[in-house]
Amino acid sequence: MLKKTAIEKISQLAAVLMEKGTLLAPVKEVSGHNFAEINDPQKVDLSFYNTIMSPKGAFFPHKEDFVKYKIGKPLSEAEPAVLNLKPAFLFGVRPCDVKSFEIMDIHFDAAGIIDPYWRFRREATTIFGYAYDLNQPVDSADFYNTLGIYAADPEGSDIFMVKKDKELLLKAITKKGENLLSELAVLKDGSAADEKYFTEYVNKGKEYKTRFMTLDQEAIAKKLEDIFDNTDFWTKMSAACLSCGICTFVCPTCYCFDICDDTLFGKGTRRRVWDACMFTDFTLEASGHNPRTQVYQRLRQKISHKYSYHIRKYGVISCVGCGRCTRYCPVNIDIYSIVEAALKA
Amino acid sequence: MQNSYLPQKAVIEDIIQESPDTKTFTLSLSGDKADSILKYKPGQFLMLSLPGYGEAPFTFASLPDPNGGFQISVRRIGALTKALHTLKIKAIVGVRGPYGNTFPLAKMKHKDLLFVAGGCGIAPLRSLIQYALKQRKAYGKIEIIYGCRTPKDRFYKEEMELWEKNKDTQTHLTVDEPDPTWHGERGVVCVLFPKIKLNPKTSFVFLCGPAIMIKFAIRDLLKLGFREENIYASLERHMQCGTGKCGHCYIKDKYVCRDGPNFSYSEMKQLEIES
Repeated sequence: MLKKTAIEKISQLAAVLMEKGTLLAPVKEVSGHNFAEINDPQKVDLSFYNTIMSPKGAFFPHKEDFVKYKIGKPLSEAEPAVLNLKPAFLFGVRPCDVKSFEIMDIHFDAAGIIDPYWRFRREATTIFGYAYDLNQPVDSADFYNTLGIYAADPEGSDIFMVKKDKELLLKAITKKGENLLSELAVLKDGSAADEKYFTEYVNKGKEYKTRFMTLDQEAIAKKLEDIFDNTDFWTKMSAACLSCGICTFVCPTCYCFDICDDTLFGKGTRRRVWDACMFTDFTLEASGHNPRTQVYQRLRQKISHKYSYHIRKYGVISCVGCGRCTRYCPVNIDIYSIVEAALKA
Repeated sequence: MQNSYLPQKAVIEDIIQESPDTKTFTLSLSGDKADSILKYKPGQFLMLSLPGYGEAPFTFASLPDPNGGFQISVRRIGALTKALHTLKIKAIVGVRGPYGNTFPLAKMKHKDLLFVAGGCGIAPLRSLIQYALKQRKAYGKIEIIYGCRTPKDRFYKEEMELWEKNKDTQTHLTVDEPDPTWHGERGVVCVLFPKIKLNPKTSFVFLCGPAIMIKFAIRDLLKLGFREENIYASLERHMQCGTGKCGHCYIKDKYVCRDGPNFSYSEMKQLEIES
């Protein structure tokens, strides 16, 4: 099923989706675009390259409340936080970011203990993937081709969208997407020419080239194990690193978190918040023992986790080549170059 | 689906002052999840929490009592443990678990057992010592080496005297800083190794203590001929979730909270542990 709408009428589609549930879509902020819960349909803005923050927050928010309690009251009166499980629509996700959800599913939903927050949000959400604009230049930080992902891959989306001049084509990819699309009367039916355009666009996406190197999972996993003790290499790679952690916060596949208690005037919440392996106190134990005090150890942990340990544990690289960590690193550390250098080390 | 992040309540039934900075708490459990927690095996741990002070991992320091309780020993060292130390009997705490792996309980049967503990490292080993002594005839000789900073820092004093009453069961003690009451050995745990009478080729060794103690104790044990695949250490890492999700305790592709915390030296070598 293929539907379409004029891009200038996107707020009408947004309004309909808001009636059906929670709409998360790109909005323009001071320094760029980000996904946000939409309260005003006019705010949805598709004139972005990619969002600053990855869309992982839709399923794994920066802060997730577990329990609410009152200090001095018995624990039995503590209340588990209630999840808002209205249907949700995650609108305008780039193909590399869509791929990140599958990688995160393995960790949160298939590795023994299931994370209920991730699973419930994932089940309640319909994903509108959105092809990169093939007429715009590729950002030099991107390297999703290296991870086998292309600019217009519809896999993983429930509905996949491509831009056709001033129109937006929406194609149902899954049953969930098809059910939703058939309910959206605000959309017009696509023509045979639109179908042809969509198929050609998906194919043309393969020619839209990001940075690329041939990467064999087994080879890079083994190589990073072999150079674990090459302190010179890791010291050189991390020489500029400020341990600021921005690479992990913008990353669509970084999932480390802290569980902490916040209290204010006697009311408390136990919640999880994003944490980062790049922080000095990430591995600090109460005893004062800290196994990773050095910045080279922490950068080695981050790179090796994504390109070696994750392969050993789950069989996939924990990176989609979205380029965010490179784009937003204040000292221009580039994960792609580190992986490239590691292979030659 | 069970939400493994939510704690259930446990009641403090007894508090024993083990040393100036450590208390042993006896906790009782009731409710639906009590049975699943009480099925824990030696070496496993739980996450204990207090509203307003957060959560931290503690290894079970005893075998479970079939009437619905267990013990943990807690050193006063951070915000949560300081708060725990102020609690009185009948106070309620949050618990979830059990987490982590156990020791090689099947393989160690009929073998000689050596336990090496440093400081509060005796607590995680106590459940395994109790487990072995409960079926004393199923094992060969048992020796327990225990080192702490001062004589006052020794835990489980009376219980250790009872351990020694078992046939072929010996404890060896040492302290770093003796006081006038102390007439025993002085120095790190390794100074006691010449006293070991077990056959190193076939014995199983269990270590718990500071990272530096584990490192040097293993070095010396290997020199004495103990086999690396039979040496087990209970490792400590910063943990937040206990379920392999939060990322804090990773050492390479192993999660200390799920794949450990108990590793054989053969496994530890693969991990090239940062210390």
